[in-house]
Amino acid sequence: MNVASRVSRLSVAQLGVVLVVLVSSVFGLVYFVKALTRLNDVATANDTLSFSDREIAAGNSIVVDQQAAYQARALIPHSESYRVVTGETVKDATPLTLPFVESWYRYFLMPRRPAADARWIVCYACDVSKLGGPYSVIWRDKNGISIGRLR
Amino acid sequence: MNAHAIAGLVALNLWLLGVGIAVLFALRGWRSWGELVRLSGVAYIVGVAVNGVVWVWELVVGIDLGLAEIFVTGLAIAVLASLAGYRLGRRLPPRGGWPPVARLSALGAVFGSLIAVYLEALFRSGRLGGLYEFDAWAFWVPKAKAIYFFGGFDHQFFRELINQSYPPLVPALQAAAFHFMGAPDVVTVRLQYWFLFAGFVGAVLGLLSGRVNALFLWPPLLFVLVTPNLVGHALQAQADFPLDEFFAIAALLVALWLMERRDWQLVAASLLLAAAMMTKREGYAFAASVVIAALIVTWRERRAAWPKLVAAGVVAAAATVPWRIFLGVRHLSSGGPELSGTGLLSHGDRAWPSLRLALSTLFDYDLWLVVVPLGLVAVAAAFAAGARRLPAYVALVYVFMVAAFAYGTWAFPSLGFSRNPALNPIVRLTGGFILLTLVLVPLLLSRAWRGRQAPALGLERVVE
Repeated sequence: MNVASRVSRLSVAQLGVVLVVLVSSVFGLVYFVKALTRLNDVATANDTLSFSDREIAAGNSIVVDQQAAYQARALIPHSESYRVVTGETVKDATPLTLPFVESWYRYFLMPRRPAADARWIVCYACDVSKLGGPYSVIWRDKNGISIGRLR
Repeated sequence: MNAHAIAGLVALNLWLLGVGIAVLFALRGWRSWGELVRLSGVAYIVGVAVNGVVWVWELVVGIDLGLAEIFVTGLAIAVLASLAGYRLGRRLPPRGGWPPVARLSALGAVFGSLIAVYLEALFRSGRLGGLYEFDAWAFWVPKAKAIYFFGGFDHQFFRELINQSYPPLVPALQAAAFHFMGAPDVVTVRLQYWFLFAGFVGAVLGLLSGRVNALFLWPPLLFVLVTPNLVGHALQAQADFPLDEFFAIAALLVALWLMERRDWQLVAASLLLAAAMMTKREGYAFAASVVIAALIVTWRERRAAWPKLVAAGVVAAAATVPWRIFLGVRHLSSGGPELSGTGLLSHGDRAWPSLRLALSTLFDYDLWLVVVPLGLVAVAAAFAAGARRLPAYVALVYVFMVAAFAYGTWAFPSLGFSRNPALNPIVRLTGGFILLTLVLVPLLLSRAWRGRQAPALGLERVVE
């Protein structure tokens, strides 16, 4: 019995089944190759990243300077609270910096707690005269980001 | 650090599997060790669901989630489940003579190898991936870190982080992963999603192999796994795919119960629906879609079927009550829709664009290829073959889910009519529909192929 006569004996429902199996097989095999290529590309791209690029990830488009994030984590003790204070003139800031830098540090610096009256300051070109006391800078970069605490 | 963290994740997931095996023993037992191997994916998913729900209950009443609590909780579940199983007459099969798990067809060998290669590539792609998704770093992982560092639902962080009302099963699971990894490793935690995804695939294979012809199972499975949106997002450290995985297996178990009426299937579905509702708020709509569709298609046997279905739905929903009470006690946002009642009517102009957005997303080739059209063909073929209950169930779940997607945009005017994930979560939501299609198409094809001579159960052979 040839294929044509076999097909002609199939009911409408069985033709539908054949259609689904055929289409899913063809698409599955074609897109399997594409999926592997894509997944390999992602794996290679991730592999070439530095440890800090991987850990900061989305923060790379927010924090401007990775060192600021790592210095904040190194300098501010776990048990201390901190606040992120922003200004308007951070060099090399992205459109995401000012809207999201505070929430990103909340994620990154945990278990340190953000608090409005914290002595530890992560200052993004902030107005130091409005911090509520004399500001002692412990670390700063050339973009106008500094980390310090109120004396 | 990465290898150490991965070893921790392996240990956590073996622990969840072990607890799930004990729950499976209570639910149904197994007649051979090969059968247990076949159902190990189901056991794993059930283990994640049960542990996750109990962790959330513990956190709600103020019990910290540390390593000791994780072990004690799992042990308690396993002991209780084993005792319950023993009381129900379950017994372990003889030790000797492990029968083959299943005879693997040539087709199964080829497609199974391809899927194994795919899963390996997915693992590598996630192994060193950072947290780039806004929701992941803005609240899912911070909530997990808060549980990890402070033990419970820290007052400050669970008040200040956005989306307070989102259920915390996934943050609890991530926190457990951090404990097993030895640190809050936000890079490797992505692999926890790989274990969930691999467990989901294993559950699908375990439930359907032996029930449907390999030709109706493997090609659709591979096809859905390689859809572009799934490839790109299955390991995102968010709650969408865990929700979809719990939901899809639950929907499959309900479909099997509709045909076979084995009570364990409904009990397991109830556990998974509870986990789905504890994973994301959309879980309520998804669970309601499944339960209401099952109620409708069992109208003729309502006296026997409805009490069980209603009980399954009520028990699943009741599992989320502690979390809802917690939100009230802490005066946190309950997460209701922005519009309801007359508000919806006064924004009636949003209804059609919302529905159009839902449908166009489901049929978007660049996201999901032609999964939905093939699902509809499978439903139509089953109807054409004379089947009624199964295709009607699938069609009703489809309709209810589309309605839920449309409502999700209509009732939230702050959401734009866009597939941009920053403006509307519609793309992530539709993942549940796609995984649902994946798990139910093999059953539909099997039923359609047998035509009007299908046995009452409509399956190739019942293996239980």
